[in-house]
Amino acid sequence: MQLKPKQTPSIRQALTVAACTLLSAPAVRAQGTWELDSSLLFYSEQDRVRAIEPVVRLKKQISEDEHFALQFVADSLTGASPSGAVPTTTPQTFTSPSGNSTYNTPANEIPLDPSFHDTRGAISFDWGRPLSRESRVVYQGHVSKEFDYLSTGVGATLSWDFNQRNTTLAAGASIGYDQVNPVGGAPVGLAPMPTFPTVKATSGDSDTKQLADLLLGVTQIISRTTLMQLNYTYGKESGYLTDPYKLVSVVDAGGNPVETLYEKRPDTRARNALYWRTLSAFGKDRLDFSYRYYWDDWGLRAHTADLRYRFEFGGGHYLEPQLRYSLQSQAADFYRPFLRQGESPQYASADYRLSEMTTSTIGLKYGVATRRDGEFAVRVGYMLQTGEDHPANAPGQLANQDLFPDTKALLFQVNYSLKF
Amino acid sequence: MTELRVERVADYWVARFQAMASPCEVLVDTDDPTVARRVGAIAYSEALRVERKFSRYRADGVVAQINAANGATVEVDEETAALLNYADACYRMSDGRFDVTSGILRRVWRFDGSARVPESQAVQALMPLIGWGRVSWQNPRLTLLPGMEIDLGGIGKEYAVDRAVGLIRAESPASVLVNFGGDLVSSGARRDGRAWQIGIENPAQLANANASRGGFELTRGAAATSGDTRRYLLKDGQRYPHILDARTGWPVEGAPKSITVLAPTCIEAGTLATLAMLQGVQAESFLDTQGVKYWCLR
Repeated sequence: MQLKPKQTPSIRQALTVAACTLLSAPAVRAQGTWELDSSLLFYSEQDRVRAIEPVVRLKKQISEDEHFALQFVADSLTGASPSGAVPTTTPQTFTSPSGNSTYNTPANEIPLDPSFHDTRGAISFDWGRPLSRESRVVYQGHVSKEFDYLSTGVGATLSWDFNQRNTTLAAGASIGYDQVNPVGGAPVGLAPMPTFPTVKATSGDSDTKQLADLLLGVTQIISRTTLMQLNYTYGKESGYLTDPYKLVSVVDAGGNPVETLYEKRPDTRARNALYWRTLSAFGKDRLDFSYRYYWDDWGLRAHTADLRYRFEFGGGHYLEPQLRYSLQSQAADFYRPFLRQGESPQYASADYRLSEMTTSTIGLKYGVATRRDGEFAVRVGYMLQTGEDHPANAPGQLANQDLFPDTKALLFQVNYSLKF
Repeated sequence: MTELRVERVADYWVARFQAMASPCEVLVDTDDPTVARRVGAIAYSEALRVERKFSRYRADGVVAQINAANGATVEVDEETAALLNYADACYRMSDGRFDVTSGILRRVWRFDGSARVPESQAVQALMPLIGWGRVSWQNPRLTLLPGMEIDLGGIGKEYAVDRAVGLIRAESPASVLVNFGGDLVSSGARRDGRAWQIGIENPAQLANANASRGGFELTRGAAATSGDTRRYLLKDGQRYPHILDARTGWPVEGAPKSITVLAPTCIEAGTLATLAMLQGVQAESFLDTQGVKYWCLR
């Protein structure tokens, strides 16, 4: 006999419902407060530059909204890079930047500076914290050092959420100060490269460069599955913007070099970039598309589109193909693959990076989740860079030379992250 | 995470640590000590997280923040809100006997085995500060009267056990038995299909705490115990158990020494055991009516 019929099994049922509601509440799992993200990149251009770049990022989640992270990067470059001088039908001899030696380039080959090797170490930090319920600030700073270059910078980005956190506005600013100590001193721009053992004329042992950048951005949640981001950045550089190791050939009517000059660039540059990104989920898969338009007052114009699609296979496995296409549609005003005898421009550079060119990259990434919120991933990529091989105005023998040999590069990256 | 020790016992490993003022252990059905350590670490970090967040002793925790508000409205996070909703449901289904605002009674009731039963005026003086019905709870805003406090100690440990086993299930296929001071959950059958064997402490032989009177098997489910055979007051031959009725501020008459209940989750088991204790002499009939498996020690 039940002594208290009032106490029906409904209590147990009500408890089951209450417990179920409680335990299905959003998982606020005890996340590791430390996060380690590491990667190792191998990059190899055919016959040119090879690079190894390890990156380690250590992040401490101080509270739900506050973090501090330190990142360490080491770059090791070896190989040869185009000096800017033109190829000829005869072997050429150049003085190395130090002025202590010479190097030769065989006939009909693009001159490469073989002394191109460098190691760079960089440390950066970012510290993000809330300012109020709707706003945050992230402070950043970096120092990086190569044997001939020092780069420093600090910045801050503020962001505000509103419209029920569907919209985020961001504004950021940063300043930088770089110092370059070229091997053998900074050459006088557009002065002729002397014949060894004569030493080049220099404008000093070192020079400096100042940078300032501003960012304005908006991120908008479009729907439950789509998010869009639009950023505008403006950057101003002033100081020594020339590459002290790049050369420009002066050719005669037959296209034969009569002289090699050190390049010279303007001492200011104003950069602009518009960046648009869309992230969209399709079930568990994810589409990531971005487009960037870049222009500056040197005359450069570039369009870059990047498309990635992540196929989720369940169990933490995913495959992500990537396509990237970049078109530098307009060269710098002072880009000159060569100069003709008698010309005396104010600025000139034959650096192929300032020319019109296209860069296409195809890549594939495979990732797998590891225990405790970690991930292991490998990425392989192939990059092809093409430019104007045979400029229409190339005189004499230059018309038969390939002035922009294609650059082909393979890249391989391993990534490992974990929380603890 | 210093005090996490793993040790092989028979054909499984045990990870042991101290949290929530209790000895805690996770039995892991594995031969691999690194699996045991990893699984133990999940339980340990979750126990510490829940303790940090909900212990009234932690000044940086949510409960301390609520109790320090002195009449001001506090906006709580989703997890705290879910626990308060649960406490609210318990209050209603127990007709006010189970009440998270009754914790301040510990100021006058100290269950140390002595005969120090408080004066009834001392208990009465606290009663105006007790009563979930006096609280304004509109998720996510909680407003207590000045001087009132909440104490989630009555459900926190069971909640932590359920959370820990949920996290372990997501990370490891190994069968585990999570036991935080006697509140336990088994995640599933062991490798050989057997259940975990659970013993029950016998209050008649407290000198030998390892002795068990009967026992049970747990494959997938939880067990929790209410009442503590070592925490009571004894005066004039009357035993006052640890369990207090929030409506009166006094121990429930005729309550068993302890009740152990089996349920799908630890928090259900713990709440059913507590609600049964609050029924006093009718504890067993309450549990019979609810149709749950239980052990009552009188």
